[in-house]
Amino acid sequence: MRLNTPESLLYPITVTKLLHQPGDDIEQNAPLFTYEYKSTVTEWDPDSREDVERIKSFYADFESELEGNITSYNVRKGQVLQGRTNVAEIEEACKHEIQFGGICANCGKDMTTVQYNSTAKNTDRATVNTVHGHTQLLVSQAEASRADEEAKRRLLDTKKLSLVVDLDQTIIHATVEPTVGEWQNDPSNPNYDAVKDVRKFQLIDEGPVAKGCWYYIKLRPGLQRFLELVSECYELHIYTMGTRAYAENIVKIIDPDRKFFGQRILSRDESGSMTAKNLKRLFPVDTKMVVIIDDRGDVWQWSPNLIKVSPYDFFVGIGDINSSFLPKRPELEAKPSKPANTDHAATADSPDTSSQDASPKVAATAPAATTTNGDVSAVDRLVSMAGNQDEGSMKEKIDEQDEQITEQLENRPLLQKQKFLDAAEEEARASPAVEAAAELLANNGSETEQEVLPHPKYRQNLLQDDDTELGYLGQNLSNIHQVYFDEYQKAKAGAKGGRVAELRPGHGKKRSVDEFEHIPDAAVLMASMKARVLQGVNLVFSGVVPLGVDIHSHDIAIWAKSFGATVSENISKRTSHVIASPERRTAKVRQAAKRGGRISIVTQGWLFACFTQWRKLPEGPYRIHSDAPINGSARLPDSFEGKDEGQLSSSDEEAALTEDETDPGTKTPNGLSIATDVEDLEKLMPSMDRADSSPTEQEEPDYWADINDELDAFMGSDADDDSDAESVKSDSTAGLKTPPSARKRKRDAESEQGEEVNEEASDSQLQKRKKEALSRASSLTQMVVPSSNGSTPAAAPTDPGGGGGEEDEGDDDLEAMLAAEMERESDDEAGTAA
Amino acid sequence: MFFVKTLEHRIDLHPSFFSASAPDFIREKLYQDVEGTNTGTFMIIAVLQIDDISEPKIAPGTGFAQYNVGYRAMVWRPFRGEVVDGKVTNVVNNGFFADVGGLAVFVSKTMLPPTMKHNAEGSTPSWSEADGMIIEKDSQVRLRIKGIRGELGQMYAIGSIREDYLGYLNL
Repeated sequence: MRLNTPESLLYPITVTKLLHQPGDDIEQNAPLFTYEYKSTVTEWDPDSREDVERIKSFYADFESELEGNITSYNVRKGQVLQGRTNVAEIEEACKHEIQFGGICANCGKDMTTVQYNSTAKNTDRATVNTVHGHTQLLVSQAEASRADEEAKRRLLDTKKLSLVVDLDQTIIHATVEPTVGEWQNDPSNPNYDAVKDVRKFQLIDEGPVAKGCWYYIKLRPGLQRFLELVSECYELHIYTMGTRAYAENIVKIIDPDRKFFGQRILSRDESGSMTAKNLKRLFPVDTKMVVIIDDRGDVWQWSPNLIKVSPYDFFVGIGDINSSFLPKRPELEAKPSKPANTDHAATADSPDTSSQDASPKVAATAPAATTTNGDVSAVDRLVSMAGNQDEGSMKEKIDEQDEQITEQLENRPLLQKQKFLDAAEEEARASPAVEAAAELLANNGSETEQEVLPHPKYRQNLLQDDDTELGYLGQNLSNIHQVYFDEYQKAKAGAKGGRVAELRPGHGKKRSVDEFEHIPDAAVLMASMKARVLQGVNLVFSGVVPLGVDIHSHDIAIWAKSFGATVSENISKRTSHVIASPERRTAKVRQAAKRGGRISIVTQGWLFACFTQWRKLPEGPYRIHSDAPINGSARLPDSFEGKDEGQLSSSDEEAALTEDETDPGTKTPNGLSIATDVEDLEKLMPSMDRADSSPTEQEEPDYWADINDELDAFMGSDADDDSDAESVKSDSTAGLKTPPSARKRKRDAESEQGEEVNEEASDSQLQKRKKEALSRASSLTQMVVPSSNGSTPAAAPTDPGGGGGEEDEGDDDLEAMLAAEMERESDDEAGTAA
Repeated sequence: MFFVKTLEHRIDLHPSFFSASAPDFIREKLYQDVEGTNTGTFMIIAVLQIDDISEPKIAPGTGFAQYNVGYRAMVWRPFRGEVVDGKVTNVVNNGFFADVGGLAVFVSKTMLPPTMKHNAEGSTPSWSEADGMIIEKDSQVRLRIKGIRGELGQMYAIGSIREDYLGYLNL
């Protein structure tokens, strides 16, 4: 190792004598050479009887901070050193490349001690953590590369890749909800079939609250086959945010013989970070042969090696019990999924919902910390990301997790939900009209649900065991493996030409290094495989991502982009697909529908199915809103026929939402809040401005017509609807002094709501029937074709600005014109379509 | 190596325990507090005898009573060069970990006999030698301690089996 003079010497210094010969051994802190330096000193001059400054020469020893054999001196006698200089090479007996708990594992010396003249800490020599189960064992970069090379050679010999597997919500779903245990012991329970193979274990020394509580583990369907298949071509590692004990217990369940995972388990105890997962922790040198599967992309910073799988959400609404340390999940929950069950429980409920409303709210609070979708603000995320360093917030997080577990134990969200479902069932039996709705729900439900239906108790089950992700995932992983090793063979064959030179004497050692340079990068291969999936697809999201969230930084968009799709904010000539929610027909959906069949309007289900299967699926069963845009003739969306698709069933069920949705005051889809602060709206303004201005000239009138349309409809319905929530809302909005720019935005948001009302009322005959059955007086259905003149007076009182009278009059005229034009246009279109 | 050592421990007693049975609480608390702890140089295995419990002093401002308890305890202190028996907890590519009582020992591959080979295949990674000596998880090993470092509550050690009569124990 090179020995340098430190910066702190008083340069220039002159070497006066070398005290050793090259080849000598030298001890730590022994002098290597002597030198002379000059310095000014203040001396008492007896002649002038005062202090004088003089420059004097001093002599000193230069001591070696290293111990070992001197291989060469790089200075000679009489040389003047002007600054930091390399003075000698010293070959150390031990380079302290492997350290355990601050001791060198090779020589047993304490690495934490610092000598008076040492310039670098010995502990800095080994900083890389390579071992799964320990944080105390550190190795140097060189040692890590050696180990890596060894591992790579082993993998190439056995034709395997490394696969990093996440536990929670990827291959299993865990909960501490005691209700699961009760259901397991009760064969008459509608959920018995689903939970009978749920495994459980008890953790004794977990936190103060969770002490000794039972964990219920549901394995993702097909897990055993998946592991067997995948372990043939991958070396499996576990990387989980759960504790060590938790991970060990899970492995006991999924891999009792340890034939898949062995000792390769990394838990949060050893991860080094509570909020992020880092591939460098396991593969510090090279990640070319690594593939990750995880249900969360953000914790991996969307690493290119990652295959994001859809989260496995078996215990409805529980989420990931180990994620309280992670930044809150920012995504919109994948499949417009099983929580939908509770929603239509609410749907099928009769008007006294309000009295029962309290209970689901309580139930919802428990998993809120983990499963809140979309509406996590950027600030929240920042705080939770930044706050993880200091002890206090660490403890807070642990407390939070405890709290969450306690809440799950006490509130039993699953039980509440099932109760709620049962209550809905009661309701359905009580009123024959609602039975029709229940029947429909049952038809839409999954296989299991249908099986349960004939049960004398006629109860719906909350939990559904219908996940197919792992089958496709296994397929994809073996495809990647195949492509990888094909590529490897090709690269190796290609490299052979160049090997003539390498085989010349003297190149023997280098060859092995080159061998690794030719291995393909799994991340690159995956990226190119994925990019082919949705190539040429141009996506626009509508009613899927919460307002105010930048679509390009949203999980679903990042995910879609990784599959080669392009994501834009507005409908344009290039747009090929609009991803919309089935129960809301937004302006964009109408706009897209007007373009005829060129743009497919599909549910998120299509996108997720493509992500899962890694191929572009036919849109057919996922199509929604495929009727003519304006005439609003009621019929069932096509997607009802495609209910055999697992992902789809629940989204269809969501389409059946009615009652709740018609009252925008109480339910706000996607967490969109109507009475938003003015500041918030202002903040949002710039982007919305851009969104407004970007459509082409031709589109603009349509756009405004749509908005006015919706606004009219909304205002009309508003006037008719005299529910409490509604009036409160309009009061509050009228009180707001909204700046003109913000007002437009607000109206947009409201009109979307209104449109939804309109939508719901007119869209499906079934819903109408249901509504009629409930004899809920609503005149919404009459508002399908709004007349601009009739509705403006109704609109005026709720005009949130309150100050733009003249402007409004101008608007009226414009509105009338536009509405007329639009009607003409739609007629034209209908004519051409016919 | 095991020693009997005289030690002292201070116990703060909450006022709600002030009663005739206070000494019992003190004893109970002493066992709870010290047994099984690691001071960084030695480990307290068991309290053998409580020599004396001092007169309590009321700590100003809190109301807690402070007792100084002198006791004799069996302690275990590992020394460099000592030969100990341990159980392998984890085998990795650059050595293996073993537990010697409460002491975590790492044996690096340079401290293994040069003939030993690492096998990563199969369910359990192991170090093995041609003559059939296999070191894997849960094997019993005899090793010599080469270095020790203590932090408060934690000790780390480096071990070696690169000597005669060290290594796998067939018990």
